[in-house]
Formats: sequence, structure tokens, C-alpha cells
Amino acid sequence: MLLKLSLTSMRKLAKDYLVLLFGLTISISIFYMFETLAQNKVFLEANSLISSIVFVFHVGTFILGIITVFYIFYATSFLLSLRQRELGMYMTLGAKKRKITQLMFMETFFVGLTALIIGIVLGVGLSYGIAELLMWQLDFQGGGFQPLYSSSLLITVLFYVALFFLTSIVNAWRVGRKSVLSLLRSGQQQDQVKTSGLRTFFGVLLSVILIAVGYYAMVHIAELMQFGIILATATIIPGTYLIFISLLPFLVKRLKQNRNLNETGINSFTLGQLRFRMLNLMMVLGTVAMLIALGLGAMTAGTSFYHNIGIQASMFHANDVVLYEPNETEKQTLATMDVTEEEDYRYKYNDEGVYFLKTDLEAAPPDVMAFEEGSEGFSPTTPEAKLSADEYALYGEEGVTELPGNWWTAVSTELGAGSMFGNRSIFVYGESSYQEVDGEEQHVTLAKLNDFTAYLPELEKLDASQKSLAETYTGNQVEQLGGKYSNYVALKGFASGTIFMGVFLGIAFLMMMASVLMFKLLSSAGADVHRYSMLRKIGVRKTLLVRSIYRELFLLFLFPAIVGIVHVIVGMQMFSFIIIEPYTKIWIPLTLFFVIYGIYYFITVQMYKRIVLPKQF
Amino acid sequence: MKQSVLDVHQLNKIYGKKSEKQFHALNSVSFAMAEGEFVGVMGPSGAGKTTLLNVISTLDTATNGSVKIAGTDITAMKQGQLADFRSSQLGFIFQDFNLLENLTVYENIALPLSLQSVAVRNIKPAVESVATKLGIEAILNKYPVTISGGQKQRVAAARALVHEPALILADEPTGALDSKNARSLMETMVHLNENHGTSIMLVTHDPLSASYCERILFIQDGKLYKEIHRNSTRSAFHQDILDVLAQFASPDMD
Ligand SMILES: Nc1ncnc2c1ncn2[C@@H]1O[C@H](COP(=O)(O)OP(=O)(O)OP(=O)(O)O)[C@@H](O)[C@H]1O
Ligand SMILES: [Mg+2]
Repeated sequence: MLLKLSLTSMRKLAKDYLVLLFGLTISISIFYMFETLAQNKVFLEANSLISSIVFVFHVGTFILGIITVFYIFYATSFLLSLRQRELGMYMTLGAKKRKITQLMFMETFFVGLTALIIGIVLGVGLSYGIAELLMWQLDFQGGGFQPLYSSSLLITVLFYVALFFLTSIVNAWRVGRKSVLSLLRSGQQQDQVKTSGLRTFFGVLLSVILIAVGYYAMVHIAELMQFGIILATATIIPGTYLIFISLLPFLVKRLKQNRNLNETGINSFTLGQLRFRMLNLMMVLGTVAMLIALGLGAMTAGTSFYHNIGIQASMFHANDVVLYEPNETEKQTLATMDVTEEEDYRYKYNDEGVYFLKTDLEAAPPDVMAFEEGSEGFSPTTPEAKLSADEYALYGEEGVTELPGNWWTAVSTELGAGSMFGNRSIFVYGESSYQEVDGEEQHVTLAKLNDFTAYLPELEKLDASQKSLAETYTGNQVEQLGGKYSNYVALKGFASGTIFMGVFLGIAFLMMMASVLMFKLLSSAGADVHRYSMLRKIGVRKTLLVRSIYRELFLLFLFPAIVGIVHVIVGMQMFSFIIIEPYTKIWIPLTLFFVIYGIYYFITVQMYKRIVLPKQF
Repeated sequence: MKQSVLDVHQLNKIYGKKSEKQFHALNSVSFAMAEGEFVGVMGPSGAGKTTLLNVISTLDTATNGSVKIAGTDITAMKQGQLADFRSSQLGFIFQDFNLLENLTVYENIALPLSLQSVAVRNIKPAVESVATKLGIEAILNKYPVTISGGQKQRVAAARALVHEPALILADEPTGALDSKNARSLMETMVHLNENHGTSIMLVTHDPLSASYCERILFIQDGKLYKEIHRNSTRSAFHQDILDVLAQFASPDMD
């Protein structure tokens, strides 16, 4: 009988249940998505630049697990809040407490299992779709990645069944513990959060210490290695939650105590809203901050690896383009690019060798990348202007001086003479010797571009045509020219697996972050409706109510974003041993995040408005 | 003759669009209320009392007819203006208290003042003075869930009064109270009415509560049906009210 009653009432609350299902489902599918990578050791080891990647993913599973536990407990407590009143009513009508507790347990577990089934299907679909999209974008084969991976499936099912079992027990226990009256009155009670100054002080102090230790571990990851990762995890997660638990209630209380602020316009209401559901808020905001840190961190690491390719490729080449015997098409292609410097050098070649004209080289010595004493690494340097001898050779030919230091690099690396001409000897001749050489005169163009990575398709074409030119010179198949572009392609081949993982996880975490905030909003909006209607009755203008909504949600969005971004910025230090400049172009993922987050904030406000403010008003 | 605070003229309210089934909830209702008057509205369930109050309080719009409050015709106002008008000229007390449970009693009472941008230094004295009038100064820092029904209704009354509106509208304020609390609230309203000149319009089912008024309007099926004045003692007036209500129960006797 009670079961039947509760089924009908579940049908009545269909909309709220949908919200709950949505929240749980996203969490499950993201967890699964993460596990498709984490469990697939073969794929990870084959495709990552980070040696202990499997271990990193183990820790990742653990972090995600903790965040999920917080989130699922919050989500299922929403179920409890939905049903309390009605369960209380059954009890006033004579239902036994034991029955009610059982009912709550069954319901929570049932909703959880339903979400699990949908979530896994969705998770497989998402993994497949996002992986395909990224692989296509990155031009990455990703052999071994499987969207439907049995061990990921197993771990997801086990984890969530256990978690739902636990939350069901907790829900049942919480119902069982409450008196009929407090069940009936549920929804009006305010979460009591104690905010004594001393508590806040120690809470904040502890969280700052925890986070500081975690930051230290991340910055010194190269020495601490795996222990550092564990230490950072064990300190930053509790530190983050603690900072929300201790600081947030205090901050809101402080704001409320400021009478000038609190008693102006609708501020008392806005702040009251924030204070009202503080317990839930602390959990949600802590979770959101962690998800932002993970998502944005993974994304930033991915893009940072990507930009790192460009930096590494530039490490050995000061010039971007080398064109031997440029033909019309090549010249035109070069003309379409933003060229900052361009020089032509004459040379002659015959079967024995290649002879560069010294005067041309001296007139405009090509820049090379040279390691300078005392500096961080390689930097562009111009070879000393004069070459005193009349004849030089690139490799020690008998009786001919070898090219000195930077000039050697200029001819071999920047001009790439070695790979272009195969077995021929390479010389630099002064005017008179050059004239005597019996051979065809040609010229080579060396150019620097403003932004190398902006012209990858064009560079690919040039590389291909230069390769075929090299094949006519050498008479052999040429795999790689060894210029900046081919270096870039090779490096990208190494890094794309890591980039793929970063962006894949970034998307997953940010999606979960969005769903957590959305869930928080939708689950509490229902209870807010009557408050807004009451304000309307006493004569608050709609514009004022809308402003209050914008402000309340702005604060909710702001706090976790700040904490999350600081985590990311410090966390990028972890990659400094493998990425040359981890902060290069960090503004790209950051801007992307702000734009998406901003749009998301705006949509959230609109949805919330639609729920709490009736249209005609 | 005192100036009239409320002037209702040929008021009609029809629910439902032209195409749908229509319901005539108010049918050519006209009456006036002088400043400082305490008027009760009674009638059987579904008679249109709440509808009348909602139209007067600008929460609902009339189909036609006019409503003037303190000289201003509200039927011609726009939504934004109506909101401002409500917040400055009207005070509400509803049956289900309608306190904001996320604010303390103090904050609830202060809200209308904050909304009207009253200077912060003037808010506290105003709240404290109205709280003293209503005997709730001891619970100002509590939250609504922790106070009794009678106290909640006083808080609602305090909030309705704090900005000294032209007219207080109350829909069954004693509906959820026991007789002791109901009486005490009514005495407070009389006190406010007599000593502070507050104009009050009260909708009620309860004859005892109604007997505190000076005048009662009876409505039935959306029409003004009868009007009685209090001439002598409250208990005599109570009897008069009971007599009229008896006629509702068995209309043939009239
Ligand atoms: N939004 C609406 N749409 C259609 N009909 C309505 C609407 N609101 C009220 N009514 C009808 O108008 C009539 C008057 O309703 P009203 O709420 O004013 O009655 P009331 O006198 O306050 O009754 P009670 O004493 O039970 O509160 C009722 O028959 C009701 O069914
Ligand atoms: Mg009514």
C-alpha cells in the first residue's frame, strides 16, 4: 500500500526526479569516461609523455571518487528533502517508522540504479563522441582507445552500487532519526552553521596550511615524484573543502553584519538566500572548485603540451622556412604568409659538392640557435660577420678548413644543407673560388615567420615540395628534411596522446562541474519560488528581483572559480620538468574557460529566473 | 467627513478568457472606505472576498471598474508602478504568514524600509518601535521557524505597518490562530487603528474577529449583499454578525 502511494507521489514529483536523475547520470557518465582512460593501461603507456602516467590516473580516480562521494551525498539528500514532508504525513496517518525507513532506502537505491544504467549508456556515447572529435582535430590515431571498455564498466558499476547502497542507508537513517514534526516542517528549517570567530580562524589556518603543503608538493614534483602527487592530493582536497566550510559562512555572516550593506534594497534577501542553504552550498562549491581545478588543469596541461611542441621545434631553428630553388608555387605560398625576414643565398652544385657563396652569407648571416653561457637555454644568435679564409667545408674535407661554430650550425641546421644534398660535400667559397666551380647556379630562400603555427597547412605543402626536390638531388627516398616543420610534426606525434588525454579529461570535468552547479540550482529553485512570489506581493519590482538573482548566482560562481584557477596556476608547475614554458599562452585555456563559464552563468540565471519569476509579472 | 482612503467603483472581475468558460467573480462592486476606518469583509466560501482583496491590493487586475487608493487610480498603472505603489502605500497580512524564512524577524520587518531606500540609520528605530507596539521586541533575532503561529502573525503585522502605509489589507489573518492568539491579534489591530489612525481592511470567516471592526461588508456570489455598522458594544455587534450569517445559511427566512 505504502509502496503504491509512494509510486504515485513519485510520478507527481516527476520533474524533480528528472532533475535528480540528470545530476546523477552526468556524474556517472563522467566517471565512466574518466575510467575509459584510467583503466586502459596499454593505451596510457603507449601514448603518454609522462612516465608514471598510470599512477597519475590511479590518483585521478581517487580524487574523482572523493568528489563524487561529496556530490552524490548532496544529490541524494535532495531526494530526502523532496520526500520528507510526505513521509511525515504517512506517519501522522499511522505508518510505522520502520516501513518509512525501508521506503526511503528502496527509493534512494532505485533512483541510483536507474541513473547508473542511463549514465553508463550515456558515458559510452560521450567517450566515443568526444574521442572521435578530438582525434580528428588532433590528427591522432589513438590506437587502443576503447569507448566501451569492460574493466572501466566494472569499476564504475562497483563504485556506484557501493555508493548508492551507502547513501540509501544514510537517507533511511536520517528519516528514521527525525521526528514526525520535523519531517512535516522540512524545507523551512535553516541549516544551522556555527560561525564562531575562533572556529573560523582555525579552520582557515588549517586549510591554508594544507593547501600550502599541497602547493609545495606540486612545485617540487620533480624531486618528490609519486610521493609528491599523493601529498598534493591528500592536502589540497581537504584544504579546498575546508576553506569553503570555514570561510564561506563567516564571509556571508560578515556581509550580513554590515548593516549599511544588509539593510539596503534587497541585499538582506540576497544574502539570506546564501546563508539559508549554507551546508549544501559549502559542499557544492567545494566540489565545483575541485572540478574547475581538475578540468581547467587538464585542459591547460593539454594545450600547454601543444604549445610546447612549437617551442621545442623552435629550439633548434631560428628560421622557419628554407626553400631551395623556389618555384612559382612555392614563392606564391610564401607570399601569403606573414614573413618578418627573408634572405636569398646563391650556391652552385655538381656531382661532387655544393658550394655556397661566402659573400651572400656574410652580407646577411643567418641567425642560429646557440646555447649561451649563463642563459636559460638556446637563443637566437647571429654568427660573427667575417669568415677570413677563402674556402670552408662543412665536414672536415682534406686541406679545407672546417666552418667555425655558429657558421657551421647556420649551414647545416638553418639551411639544412645536409639533408637536402645527401652525400655531396658541402663548401662555402669566396667569390673567386666560387666563379671557378663548374656547376649550375641556384639560390635558396631563408625566411622567418611571425607565427609559425598559424601556417601549418602551407608549411606542409612547402615541406612536401622541398622533399621531392631533395629526392632529385639525392636520388633516394627522403623521409624527413629535418627542418623546423618536420621537427614540429615529429614532436607533435609524440605529444598528441598526452594532449588528447588532457583535453578529453578537461571536457569531462568541466561538464561535470556544469552539471553540479546546474543541479544545485534546479534542486533549490523549487523551494525558492514562494519566496519570490511573496516579495512580489509586498511590492518588490521585478528588476530588483532579477538583480538579486544575478548577484546571488554571481557569488556562487565566483568563489569556486577563484579557488580553482589558483590551483591550476600553481599546479602547472608540476609540468615544468617536461614542458619548457608551462605558462605559455595560458591565457588561451583561461579565456576559453571564462567565456564558457560566463555563458554558463548567464544561462543559469535565465533558467533560474524562469523558475522563480512567473512570466506575466 | 474624512477623506476616503479607498474608493471602489463598479468593480468587475471575470476569470477566464472570452473563448473559455468565464466566471464572474466580482459583479459591480462599489463601496468607499474613510481614512482611519476598520472595515471587515465577510461572506461564504467562494463569494469573491480574496478576489476583491487581490484586486484592491494590485496583485490582480480588474476586468473593469476603478479602484482608488489615497486618491490614486491603480487600475491605470503599469506593473513597475504597481510594485512601487504596493511597497509604499499598502501593507499585507496573509493567512499563511508569508514571512521569509531565510531572514530573521528583524530583517523581515526591515525589508519594506530597505526596499524604499530608507536611510539605514532610520531603519533600526522604526523596526524597534513597531516591534514594541506589537509586543515582539524579544524575538527580533529569531528565525520564523522558531516562533509560534501567533508571533508570526504579529511579525507579519509589524512588517505590514513598519513603513506606515495608507492601507492595511489582511486576508484571514486569524485563520491559522487559536482563539486566544486570534483575540490578541485583533486587539492589536484595534489598538493600531484607534491610536495610530491606521486604515484596515480585513477579510475573515470568523464572526468573533469580525466583531472588532467598525463596519462589515457582506458579499455573496461576487455582489455586495449587505452592510452593517457597529453601533454599541462589541458583543452586540457579534450578535448582529451572527444574525446576518444565519441568513446566508437559510436565505428563505429573510
Ligand atoms: N484564478 C482563478 N480562475 C478562475 N476562477 C477563480 C480564480 N480564482 C478564484 N476563482 C473563483 O472565483 C470565486 C471567488 O474566489 P475567492 O477566492 O475570491 O473566494 P473567497 O470568497 O475568498 O473564498 P474563501 O472564503 O473560501 O477564501 C470562486 O468561485 C473561485 O472558484
Ligand atoms: Mg479567500
